[in-house]
Amino acid sequence: MVVRIRLARFGNKHSPIYNVVVAQARSARDSKPLEVIGTFNTVPQKPTNLSDEEARRARAFKEVSLDRSRAKYWLGVGAQPSGSVWKLLNLAGLVEPKEKSQN
Amino acid sequence: MPPRIQNQLASNSLLPFLSSTSTPSTSSSASLSKLPISQYSPSSSCSSRRSSRPFSSTASTQTKLRNEMFTWLKKEGEALKNHTPGSTNYLSALRFRGEEGQRPPSWPFPLNPSFVSEPVLSEELRNDIYERVVVKKKSVRAVSVELGVDMRRVGAVVRLVELEKRMKQQGKSMALPYARAIHEMIPTTPLHDDARGHRFKPHEAINDLPVHRLTETQIFYPVSESRQFNRVDAGRVFSAAPAQEHTQVARNASDPAAAVSRVTQQPSTIETVGKGADETQVLQAADMRIPHPHLVAHQRHRLEKPNEAREAQDLYKKRLKVEETAEKERKRISKERAEQKLLKVQPEASRFEFRFKDVEVSRETVGKDGRGSKAPGHRYGVPSYDRKKGQVKIPTRVEV
Amino acid sequence: MRNRATTPLSKPKLRQSWSKYNLFNLQRLRNPPTIAKTFFQQKWTAKSMARAYHGEQVRESQWARMFSRRIRSVVPMNPVKLAEDDGSAMSAGRGSGLENVTYAEQGRANSRLTPFTQMTFAPLERRLDVAIFRAMFASSARQARQFVVHGAVTVNGKKMRYPGYLLNPGDLFQVEPERVMFATGAPKDKFERREGRVARRKASETTAEAEAAEEGAVAAEETKESEVEGKEAEQEAENPREALKTLLAQAKSIMAGNKDAMSAKRKQELRGFQKAVKRVLSRSESSTVLTDSLESQFSELTLLLKAKRTEKKNDKGSKKEQKQSAAQTSESSSATASESQPGEKLTEAFRQAAENPEEEVDTSELTDDEFDVLKRALVQMRDNPIDSSKPYATPWRPRDYMSAFALIPRYLEVNQNICAAVYLRHPVARPGFSEVPTPFGESVGTSAFAWYLKRR
Repeated sequence: MVVRIRLARFGNKHSPIYNVVVAQARSARDSKPLEVIGTFNTVPQKPTNLSDEEARRARAFKEVSLDRSRAKYWLGVGAQPSGSVWKLLNLAGLVEPKEKSQN
Repeated sequence: MPPRIQNQLASNSLLPFLSSTSTPSTSSSASLSKLPISQYSPSSSCSSRRSSRPFSSTASTQTKLRNEMFTWLKKEGEALKNHTPGSTNYLSALRFRGEEGQRPPSWPFPLNPSFVSEPVLSEELRNDIYERVVVKKKSVRAVSVELGVDMRRVGAVVRLVELEKRMKQQGKSMALPYARAIHEMIPTTPLHDDARGHRFKPHEAINDLPVHRLTETQIFYPVSESRQFNRVDAGRVFSAAPAQEHTQVARNASDPAAAVSRVTQQPSTIETVGKGADETQVLQAADMRIPHPHLVAHQRHRLEKPNEAREAQDLYKKRLKVEETAEKERKRISKERAEQKLLKVQPEASRFEFRFKDVEVSRETVGKDGRGSKAPGHRYGVPSYDRKKGQVKIPTRVEV
Repeated sequence: MRNRATTPLSKPKLRQSWSKYNLFNLQRLRNPPTIAKTFFQQKWTAKSMARAYHGEQVRESQWARMFSRRIRSVVPMNPVKLAEDDGSAMSAGRGSGLENVTYAEQGRANSRLTPFTQMTFAPLERRLDVAIFRAMFASSARQARQFVVHGAVTVNGKKMRYPGYLLNPGDLFQVEPERVMFATGAPKDKFERREGRVARRKASETTAEAEAAEEGAVAAEETKESEVEGKEAEQEAENPREALKTLLAQAKSIMAGNKDAMSAKRKQELRGFQKAVKRVLSRSESSTVLTDSLESQFSELTLLLKAKRTEKKNDKGSKKEQKQSAAQTSESSSATASESQPGEKLTEAFRQAAENPEEEVDTSELTDDEFDVLKRALVQMRDNPIDSSKPYATPWRPRDYMSAFALIPRYLEVNQNICAAVYLRHPVARPGFSEVPTPFGESVGTSAFAWYLKRR
């Protein structure tokens, strides 16, 4: 059995929010995972408390919360990130970017 | 129509104490209204009809009450129809109108003198506040003390004037006649030419002490007669903290200004009582909890050395500056700390920025069964009550 | 939501509204009798009276959840008092305070009790619709609610469509100024409505025509333009007078239109303005100095003038001066003075011209006050023009009986120019005063508070 790091969808209709979970690859999305190591909000947020000039240049952001040490540990014991989690972990500097052919 | 009258009698619980008029000039109508309610039924409308339209045979559309209302509006109410610029025009002023030279009462509701219509900032004062803060770069705290305006109000005024300027620049329509009319109707605080005017007639009380929850209880606390039991001790009793050490009491008494600034500039150093979730900070004395604690130190200095007005002024400025720098430093540190916790990544391929926040997954946060409330992410096996009755389902905050 | 906020006269209920019905009901409001009433009955009547005013649009269960028995209050502190003593005098001796705390002072402090129970409905003041009404942006809480639902309100720059949004301290809310003018302005009368209809029809016709005629007109206009340019210099001399004339006509139409609708003060102002304009007009036939300096002063009034003023003023002014000096030598000194500093010397020139007996028929009437009136009236006319396309009576004037309800509580900071307000903090009680505007007395407030304590 493969252990994967993947996303599990929460939230209501039209307002998704994801848990970054470590789970057995064959288990259901909504089943209880081995561990929850973070969250990912895919809905872009507008930055606040800015002046007019800054607000025009500012980029919208996506919030990620992650326990980096746990993520490192699970990667170390052979957990395989799913595609979207791989991207996140890459941005966090935990894994190398995936090559295009592997996708 | 007897049944209808009955019905009115039963349902109209408020009528008896809503009498029609109080002034003696309309004693006839007042006496009419004090008659039993059957007088209000449509059958009585013929009397009013007789008076207003003697030869008409059609039934009057106006009820007696409406007639009464319009007569009142034409007689006493006439004064309330239009305002006189520069003075209020409230209902409670009607009975005072007879005596000339008396200032009209400032409460708009005759039965509720505890609510008074307090003055608002005049246009000039508002612009002056903006100029002091934005152009002259004075701190909000200093401007607040100078003009006798609450600090939150100063901040709000700056925001509003800024918005006004921007709207003017964009050429958006504004409600100028409306603004003028409102400022004619309600009392306003004018801009005085000299600083003394604002000192003697401040816009509002700037040193409001919010009543703390702990002080609402009454505590019987026996103290020996020889003991100096002051505000600081009272605060400790309210929050059930042990009495202060003698050495600390002596140190605070020797330099009260330092004791106050220690608390106000580093709120995290305040002593706490209780354990775990019940841990709370010890209730501080009023000297520390008022918005302008530096004013107390200033006054103390003036009391001690009444002849050194100029030194007191200099010291006051210095104290203000120290307070301001401490505030700025505190803001900077908290901002830095927030930045450190956050990792911002802006990938080139993406339109978005990714903000990584560090969380902790451990035995303490997750708990033994993995269901701890501090654990990251949405929890498993816990129902979500967000659509239940009584939950707030509309936005609770809007970020600027 | 169905509007149940009617203001019947037979079953009087007070509402958050500026209507004259409400004013009449407020006028005949008395404290409910407590004699021969059980405590429950007293509480019931008090609560039903108060709830008809406070948050009538909020369901009872919703309000019951919002109610809090903890009432916010503050005590204004005096830094001098705090500096004088550290509070130990209050507990000195046997615990009843030292002798020097005078009883008179204590008595005064006690007489100003904090009216806590008048703050029963403070949580409702946080609602967006109520706050809009309190900031005087709407004539009733129901209307404020409609503004929110119809998307005319922003909170912190974002559109907020929930009237039940609870404002947080520091929130800035803004209503569209046009809506506010409509809500607080006097309504149009029959004739004004008709005028508006006619204007609208005309506008739709002209746009249709203009589209058709546009191509043809372009060529014709080009030929005309050269002529127009030639005439412009002459026109300009007339322009200030024309502007004044149109203003005078406006003032006349206002005076003629609805006599009872205006306050006496405003009528007086307008009459003074009429007089002043007439005088200036009659005078400017003979002396162009006045029109010239008026032009420089009130150039904002006419866009036409604004465009060309700076270019042509100098040569035109000199021309007129020559004419002037030829006609009247006495006038020329004042004319040069006013030309050199048109803005500053205007009043001076006015006075000199008024005092000059040779020229004027009606002398010495134009005092400084009148001139001020004229100036103010002109500025007001510019800000508050006659415009039949607006949904309210123009020029804008406040609704009838608005001043009886005009108040802005301290927890709001309002900028009326842009129709924006900041919710500074939650309303608080202080010794002697409460910040929640409620028309009911202490007895109603206390009984209503007791009702919601749920111990009945």
